[in-house]
Amino acid sequence: MSLLHATWLPAIRTPTSTGRAALLVWADTWRVASPSGPSTTPALHPFALTPEQLKTWLSERELLPEASIDATACLTLPSRALKIKKPPSKTHPADSTEKIDLPVWTGLPLQAGEPIPNKSEWWPWQVQGLAIEPSAAATWLSRLPLSGENSDLGDELRWWSHLQRWALSIIARGRWLPQLELSRGEGYPHRARWVPLLNREDDRRRLEELAGELPLVATCALPWREPAGRRINRITRLRPEAMRAANPVASCRPRSGRIRVANLLEELVDAQLRKEFTSKPEGLDPLLKIWQEALGSDDGRVLLEDEEAQRLATASHHWREGVAGNVAPARACLELFTPAEGEELWELRFALQAEADPSVKVPASTAWASGSNILQLGEVRVDRPGEVLLEGLGRALTVFSAIERGLDSATPETMHLTPAEAFVLVRTAAAQLRDAGVGVELPPSLSGGLASRLGLSIKAELSERSKGFALGDTLDWAWELMIGGVTLNLKELERLAGKKSPLVKHKDSWIELRPNDLKIAEQFCSANPDMSLDDALRLTATSGNTLMRLPVHQFEAGPRLQSVLEQYHQQKAPDPLPAPEGFEGQLRPYQERGLGWLAFLHRFDQGACLADDMGLGKTIQLLAFLQHLKIERELKRPVLLIAPTSVLTNWKREAKSFTPKLDVCEHYGPRRPTTTTELKQRLQNIDVMLTSYGLMQRDSELLDTINWQGVVIDEAQAIKNPNAKQSQAIRDIAHPAKSNRFRIALTGTPVENRVSELWALMDFLNPKVLGEEDFFRQRYRMPIERYGDISSLKDLKARVSPFILRRLKTDKAIISDLPEKVELSEWVGLSKEQQALYRKIVDDTLDSIARAPRGQRHGKVLGLLTKLKQVCNHPALALKEEVVNENFIERSSKLQRLEEILEEVIESGDRALLFTQFAAWGHLLQSYLQQKWRFEVPFLHGGSPKRERQAMVDRFQEDPRGPQLFLLSLKAGGIGLNLTRASHVFHIDRWWNPAVENQATDRAYRIGQANRVMVHKFITSGSVEEKIDLMIKEKSRLAEDIIGSGEDWLGGLEVNQLRQLVALEET
Amino acid sequence: MTPSNTKQASITTALSEDGLAKKPWWVEQWMELINSYRFKKRLERAWTYARDGHVTSIRFEGRRVHARVQGTGDDPYKVKLWLDVLSDEDWQYVLEALTKKARWSAQLLAGIMPADIERAFAASGRRLFPFKLQEVRSECSCPDKANPCKHISAIYFLMGERFSEDPFVLFQLRGRTREALLSDLAEQRLEILKTISEDNSHNNSEVAISPHPAVLDPSLWWSYKANLNSDLVVITPALEGDTGLDAASDLPLAEDPRFPEARNLFLKNLIEHGQVLAQQAMLQAMETGE
Repeated sequence: MSLLHATWLPAIRTPTSTGRAALLVWADTWRVASPSGPSTTPALHPFALTPEQLKTWLSERELLPEASIDATACLTLPSRALKIKKPPSKTHPADSTEKIDLPVWTGLPLQAGEPIPNKSEWWPWQVQGLAIEPSAAATWLSRLPLSGENSDLGDELRWWSHLQRWALSIIARGRWLPQLELSRGEGYPHRARWVPLLNREDDRRRLEELAGELPLVATCALPWREPAGRRINRITRLRPEAMRAANPVASCRPRSGRIRVANLLEELVDAQLRKEFTSKPEGLDPLLKIWQEALGSDDGRVLLEDEEAQRLATASHHWREGVAGNVAPARACLELFTPAEGEELWELRFALQAEADPSVKVPASTAWASGSNILQLGEVRVDRPGEVLLEGLGRALTVFSAIERGLDSATPETMHLTPAEAFVLVRTAAAQLRDAGVGVELPPSLSGGLASRLGLSIKAELSERSKGFALGDTLDWAWELMIGGVTLNLKELERLAGKKSPLVKHKDSWIELRPNDLKIAEQFCSANPDMSLDDALRLTATSGNTLMRLPVHQFEAGPRLQSVLEQYHQQKAPDPLPAPEGFEGQLRPYQERGLGWLAFLHRFDQGACLADDMGLGKTIQLLAFLQHLKIERELKRPVLLIAPTSVLTNWKREAKSFTPKLDVCEHYGPRRPTTTTELKQRLQNIDVMLTSYGLMQRDSELLDTINWQGVVIDEAQAIKNPNAKQSQAIRDIAHPAKSNRFRIALTGTPVENRVSELWALMDFLNPKVLGEEDFFRQRYRMPIERYGDISSLKDLKARVSPFILRRLKTDKAIISDLPEKVELSEWVGLSKEQQALYRKIVDDTLDSIARAPRGQRHGKVLGLLTKLKQVCNHPALALKEEVVNENFIERSSKLQRLEEILEEVIESGDRALLFTQFAAWGHLLQSYLQQKWRFEVPFLHGGSPKRERQAMVDRFQEDPRGPQLFLLSLKAGGIGLNLTRASHVFHIDRWWNPAVENQATDRAYRIGQANRVMVHKFITSGSVEEKIDLMIKEKSRLAEDIIGSGEDWLGGLEVNQLRQLVALEET
Repeated sequence: MTPSNTKQASITTALSEDGLAKKPWWVEQWMELINSYRFKKRLERAWTYARDGHVTSIRFEGRRVHARVQGTGDDPYKVKLWLDVLSDEDWQYVLEALTKKARWSAQLLAGIMPADIERAFAASGRRLFPFKLQEVRSECSCPDKANPCKHISAIYFLMGERFSEDPFVLFQLRGRTREALLSDLAEQRLEILKTISEDNSHNNSEVAISPHPAVLDPSLWWSYKANLNSDLVVITPALEGDTGLDAASDLPLAEDPRFPEARNLFLKNLIEHGQVLAQQAMLQAMETGE
């Protein structure tokens, strides 16, 4: 897959170029390339798409810019040194008359996501792409997504889209001024420019952020220069010495920095303001007329005498300097300190502060002492720190004139403010100073923000009387008023308010009182509300929560409440609960924690979503939970478990083997109960009833008549669309009007990241948590999905996280609990078509086998078994169909299940190997999967040429954006290959020799591999697949005999044995 | 903002307390100087002259002002104006005085002409501003014997406006450009700082440049993990009176008397353009991601 990049081409001035900047859009892709290196000019980037390929690629994604020209640039990229394999030379180099210009260095450029070699170097590469002029670039950048992982787009495109969004914000807020910039030297014109003003605190922060995070590929270009000479003459153009002169093999030094980013922002802002500016010359004097015209022209060129230009430049700079200064690594900072005991005056100290990190400060004395030297301030270097400090103080003076008397000495370090002046600073001047580009540090109790407002400090504990705990329980609690970190009672507040001074001292801290504070406090005191456990959970979920308009600054929970809160907010792992009596099998430690968590939320009557990674045993944890309820005698009514049809079989199997004491029935098939009476009859002594999503919807009226104790949904992504009938039916059955049912959802997808699906899930689990759907869309979904708003996302996660438990197989706490290979049996059923076909084949063939002479029988038996295995895969395979037809997925239960699991694999960004023994199935599956997901799925089989095989393997292993799925035929791919990038192995059909399967599994699994490998083995229940699996598992004598002997043993079976083996059993 | 490295003078006027209507103090002072002139009639004629656009150019060349005034003849008259330049010795006194108060340097660096700058000049016994009109030396190529003639007087009027473009022109006329003054000031300050700097000995030791993080981790070449800043999620318009144009007040460009409305028209066009573009930017921002 190709990855799109964008790099800024700075303006250069040559006799043939107008010196205009542009955005270069280019893409690289994974392919086999031989190392190369620069000779007279940088080498051609071996992985970059040609402009033609790039255009096609862009139009397919609707990303083709409106206007662009083909361009070449010289990009500096991290590279890997590699030697060229020497071609066998027949002639001695000395004999050769032609001197071969061998590069001194050879290698390949690295691609994003590629593993970094131990030693990387930076080399220039010639990259072809499309150059977009700045205003078209701004439009194009506005179309890019602002958030989210996009496999086609390089990270830096998101950086660019954020920069452009900032440019839009600057334009929307009108934070710009036109300027005249003087020529940078001979040959450069004077230019009229639209310049962003970056004096505001938030804009300055943004500059630091974007500069700090700048992906260097965005600015790593030296423009490609056409050598001087007639351009029409191709020979001139390609003359090496001319090329060398124009394009020395030079690299950009890795640098980031605010000045670069500020320049890029200026380019985008200028381009957009310039584009639609119409000059209105009437009534203007000649100077303004020329300036105005140039502000609307393409290149901003100003045709003025140097003298006049100088005058205009001075005036325009003078104009701007009143608003904003230059971009510098540091700024002046004023630090306010509260008066010492018994003193009246406040101390104000002057300091120098790093822009990038306001916590890095040095006192003014240090700045003075460094004289003309460079001052190292944290990570930045400040040139002439004294001048920077002085300039900032000059600016501060225009906003906060009180500091004038502090600047009377030559090297001032500190001064005193009167209480009135200090109050002005705290209340108004601090913000104005910050906007003027001067840092202000206030004492913590006055530093603005919520903490310095009147609020509450709360202590609470579960009541002694309450045995368990329920949400409505009233807590034992006590509260105090709190401002700026100090507590006070109403009397004290009244006394302080009586002082009529806005800044007052209380318990050694200075705090600011607001006019309304006393009134709000009085109201709260007279209300003196109760606090419930529900309130406590809400107040501790996110910061900044309020209780009766008062923010809660401090919440201190007693030990018992604390433990509940911690578990609830998942700040600590849930208390484990051992496997209940009657549970046949072992729970791994993390599964015991999962069980404990389910039980914990159940006690609160909260819905729970267990979203563990695939293979961690969600089914087992849920079964253990139901068994736990049963043992505790809490399971009084039946539980409804809804799952996709394809996993119903699996549920039955697992329940039978792990919780045989649970009475499980199935509501499925044509003979299912149709009346309430029948259903009630059926449900006598039943603990769990399984049904499919489809039937749940169809029979919802009938199912509604039962008083379920709980509703469990498996593969909960099935209800992702809240408006679908299915989702509504499930929501209704989970939340009946009168009674109360527990709700549990199971899913292996990363639900917490799928904002659009979260609402429906929470609507099922705990409807009040996320509010109405419209509110949810406005408050969370739009900001997060469209703009990647991180604060909304944080808030959303804080709201839902108590109800979702998701553990990954890569988590440290989990990985130690898991064996290196986790074998998972995937039980599947047969579709109607499969069943009919299966039976027909068995019936047709058994007789003929019985009648066949002994010699032919062996072959016939194997033929039958092969045919049946094919039916289990897909009828199309058994019927020798060659194309994927319309209902392909419905015809095979195994394929349905496979698709569901693969969906999770792809979602999690994992990679999987899929083994089959049938090449024909591989081909069908390949085209089906490629259609389904629209990406390439390589298939390595006996017919693949050797060279291609190696390329497929290399790509799977090396390409940073390589395929996630890799199909292999068991015979061709089962041995000799190293495919350790996969963390899932699927055995789609069974080979009755475990050794062969294990060998194939070992392609992905290597000793010492950090990843855990999940091995999925599909077993069609009731079919020959299951029976043979059972034989192998039970290590029956028959199975003992057959290990190591391939499948031949099957040929020797007696007809009766055979009949038993192949007969399709009702499951 | 000019993030480029060009050492462009950054200048600003101190905003007067009364708001925009009031001229900067040095312009006021200059106008007072002119109005103190005894021959009111000549002054009036000169004002009409200036207003009607007879002054075709005013240039600051080094320490002198060169101007051209279209008189009755075919060729314009050449006018020169200059002040007495301070000697290097005088400047040294001024510099020493200026460094004694950090505020003076601070304001000059921030582009502000300190209102009490004359106090620093008093140290040399000299002035920055001419005290009497007679201190402004002048020459005109017109046949009129009187000095100042009406051509020179016309220049007087326009000079005041020119001072508002760049108050530091006054320093230039006294023999130091603003850049020269600032760098001299910095030098002078260093002299003082040397006395307070404790370990001057290894002052010149190079601070090691730490390599860019991307050198140590080449994956930084590609990666950008940050999310869109919350402030940029919803793009909002400026608050009333909060645009750059609002904040920057009047364009400090001397008025050409022939085009009295020029600056207003120029700014009006910019404001309208800004409003249209702000609307467009917000619309574009809303469409993103759709």
